[in-house]
This record gives sequence, structure tokens and C-alpha cells, in this order.
Amino acid sequence: MPNLKYLSPEWAAEALRRLRAQLSPEKMKHITSSMMTVYTHCPDGKVRAVYYALKEGAFEQLVIAEGELPDAEFIIKGDYDTFAQISRAELKSRKALMSGKLELKGNLVKALSLAVIVDRLNEVLATIPTDY
Amino acid sequence: MATDPYFIDHPARVRAIQGEMVRQGVDVYLGSRLRTISWVADAFFPWRTYMVIPRDGLPTVFTFVIDAARAADDSWLGTEHVLGYGPMGGQDQITLLANEIHRSLPGGKGVIGIESGMGTYLPEGHITHYEYEALRAAFPEAELRNSIGIIDELSRVKDAGTLNRFREASRLVDVGQAAVLDAIRDGGYRGKSETEIAGIAIHAMRKAGSEWDWTFTGGQEIASGHRTGYAAGACTPASRRVLQAGEPLMVDLHAMYRLGLGDHSHNYLLAPATDRQRWHAQNFVGLMRLLLETYRAGLSPSGLADDMLDYAEECGFAEYMVPGFEHGIGLLGDEWRIGTHTGPFPFWTDPDHVYRPGELIICAVQYACPEEKIGFRYENPMLLTEGGNEVFSKFPLEIEEI
Repeated sequence: MPNLKYLSPEWAAEALRRLRAQLSPEKMKHITSSMMTVYTHCPDGKVRAVYYALKEGAFEQLVIAEGELPDAEFIIKGDYDTFAQISRAELKSRKALMSGKLELKGNLVKALSLAVIVDRLNEVLATIPTDY
Repeated sequence: MATDPYFIDHPARVRAIQGEMVRQGVDVYLGSRLRTISWVADAFFPWRTYMVIPRDGLPTVFTFVIDAARAADDSWLGTEHVLGYGPMGGQDQITLLANEIHRSLPGGKGVIGIESGMGTYLPEGHITHYEYEALRAAFPEAELRNSIGIIDELSRVKDAGTLNRFREASRLVDVGQAAVLDAIRDGGYRGKSETEIAGIAIHAMRKAGSEWDWTFTGGQEIASGHRTGYAAGACTPASRRVLQAGEPLMVDLHAMYRLGLGDHSHNYLLAPATDRQRWHAQNFVGLMRLLLETYRAGLSPSGLADDMLDYAEECGFAEYMVPGFEHGIGLLGDEWRIGTHTGPFPFWTDPDHVYRPGELIICAVQYACPEEKIGFRYENPMLLTEGGNEVFSKFPLEIEEI
């Protein structure tokens, strides 16, 4: 499989396919929620976001957003490079949050209970052949 | 709800605060004092906690994330309005507070009510210098205005649910006092330490339902011998000192029921007692009887102190009296100062504060004779009424010889 450009529509489609295939509703704890990762300082200078919607543990949506961003229960914001490091498994998302490289908006108590799920999601995304 | 004797109408409290905010031109209120958090959220918050109260709608509480789920479960505000903060990007205290306050301050302009001041009480919880400066930087065009008078005035006269919580906490303290008396009578005190006496009381009170040995003065204050008579009074966390025959014993117990606080001190002479010790004991009990007959709404702390010290002078023991006869009390976190901030010394009780019916105090008297290694303490929650008072602990006022 050729490498896909990070945050491109093709990358998003492949991400959604892999997440649906590898993360069952059981593994996703049957949660219903929405999460958005906001990438600042993308290589072209723009701000982009990946919006994930889950219903009872099933991935309903994974879309790349630009310009006016949708609202989500959890919003994680950081530099493109930080997310790229996480996707390449060079940086743990927890460490990025604890060091302030990422900012979380949303109920922290609930977020902590979902941290393991986000780890699983990142592990799947890290398997996509990607050009950053 | 109405059948629960301990019911407190917390939404009505929030509406009362919001009404005062409008009247005083405060757009959003940032509470940080333990007394404010307890009074509004009705849960135990042992960590640094903040409450953002908008002019409309429910307050939102921010507490240390490790305890947020438990606190949300205990509070009527629930998980949507009791949130956690922690050391993560976007989740630190200042970021969360700034985001929440911003909802009430379009454009960052307006008045933010804060809780500033100083207190004798360590866990008071006034805003810190760092918090103040950080919020000022976050809202450069807003005014940060000290607004502690809002809560202090609203919480001054106690409602029925609050009073019943104090009555129940006092009943629990009486259970502890009875357990201590059972344990020490007929020579049972021999070989026991102050900490052991504290443990006997704690076990009995916890068994009866007490949630916490709530004071920051050491939980249960047990003193024997010279420790009963420190000059100017004392807080006496139990020590490992072993009780001795011929010495006084002070048993000052504290229980908590749904943030209502029990606080009663009882005193003993461990036989054989000397005539001089009995003289001290009679002085103390006599003064206490007079004081309990005298207290009522309409009086002031300074007026009462004058009358009691005159009596002590006439009877020849004024030099052993600590010249104060009460301290303030409210739900957990509201301790020490009485009333609002009208006195000559900022953030201290106004000595000329005139008690209103429905105010609750701890009637607190300390008799101390360090040179003779003897002292006594009386403490009891007291509701002031038009015609007199009601003390909540019913353990008999006397100094028994054991």
C-alpha cells in the first residue's frame, strides 16, 4: 500500500476503515461520544481537525474539518508536529498532555476514563502508511 | 424532600446568591473558600476547590480530578457541574476557571466577584496571590472585586435543615462523651493515654454515624494535667500522655453529620481531687451556668464578655478566664469569625456584632490556670433565639470526680 498523506481525505477514509475493522464496540466500551483533534501549524500553515463520532462503540464518522470547526464533547488541540510524533509512536499522548504540548477541553474525569480507548485508537492510526 | 429534616434548599441558596450578584453588579462569582463550597455544593471537598457561579443557571465546581467523581456523586450538582482539574494541557485550574468565567463575561468585560481576605482558620481558602494575578492577566479588562460579604451575609442565619444537621452531629458527640465516661469511670482511666481516650470517642461516634472528626485542631482534643491549663487557652490534639490520678482531664469531641458540626467539651477531675481543684471547678461551672442563662439574640460578644468577666472578678477568678465566650460556626469550613466584616480589625469578629435570632455559634469558654496545671473548656453549638438559646449537646454540665 502506498503511503497516504497525513490528514488527507484518503488518509481519513483509510483511518475510518481500519478503526471499524480493528476496534469492535466491545473494545470501545460501547461509548457514545465525539472527539476532535485540532492540528495547529500544519505544514501549509492551516488549522485542521479530525472529528470522530462514536455511537454505542461504533465509529459513525471520521472527517477532516477546516475553517469553522464543529463542536465535540472532547477537543484535543496541539501542533501538527506533536500529533505526528504521537502517530509515529515517538511520543505518548499522555506525556504530551501532561507536558502541556496538547490541550484537552472537556470533562477531565470522563476523559481519564476514556484514555485507554484513545490509546487503542492511536495504535490503529499508527499502522497507516503515512507521509507527514 | 420536605419530610427530610436535614433537607436544605440549595437551588434557593444559589438563587439568593445570584440575586445579590445582580444587586451588587457582580457578573460572575468565583468562590474558593471552603465555607462557600460547602454551603452551596453540599459535599465534602478536602482539596483546593473553586466554584464559578453565573448570574443564571447552576454553579460549576472544579476540584482536584482524583476526587471529582466522588464529590460529584455526593453533591446535588452532579457530574455535569462538578468537574476535575489536573496537570494537563487545558485542564489546569486557571485555564478551566478562565474558560468557565468567560461564558459569563462576553468580551472579557465585567465584574468578577472573588473571595479575598485573611483568616485565623488555615483552610479558609481565600484566593491566592498567584490565582489573582493569573485571572487578572486572563481578563485584563474585567474588574476583580472582593465579594465575600455575599455568602457571609446569606449564611449568617441558619435554616431548619442546617440546624437539624448540627443537632444530629451534637447527638453523635454525646454518644462519644458517654463512651468516654464509661471507659474512664471506676478507675478505668488508669493506664490510658490521651490518644486512647480520643480513639474510644471516635469509635463510638463513628459507629453512631459520624462522618469525620472534623476539626483541623487534631480531630478530638484530649488534654490531661498541665495540658488542660495552657495560658490563653489552647487547641489540644490528643498526645501520648498517660492519664494520672489527681489531675484534670478535658474531653473536647467533634463529630460531623452532612457537613453539620458537633463540638462539645466536657471536663473531669481524676480522683483524688484537692479542695483547690474543686474551687476551680466550681468557678467554671458557676460561670457556665450564668452564661447559658444569659445568651440570647440582641446581645453582642463584647457586652457578654463584660458581664461574664465582671462576674468572674466578683468571685475572684477573673485572672483565669480567657476573655472570649464564643466563636462562629457554620457548615464545614465556616469556623471562627462571627457575622460579617464590620469590626475594627479586618476579617475578625466585630465585638459589637448584635446577634440575630437564628444565628448559631459555638459557646466556647476557656478557664486556664497554668501555674496550678489546671484548666477547663466548654464548647457547645448554641442557637440564639429571641428569648434565650438552645444548646445542642445535651451532655450534663458538670465536672465529675472520677
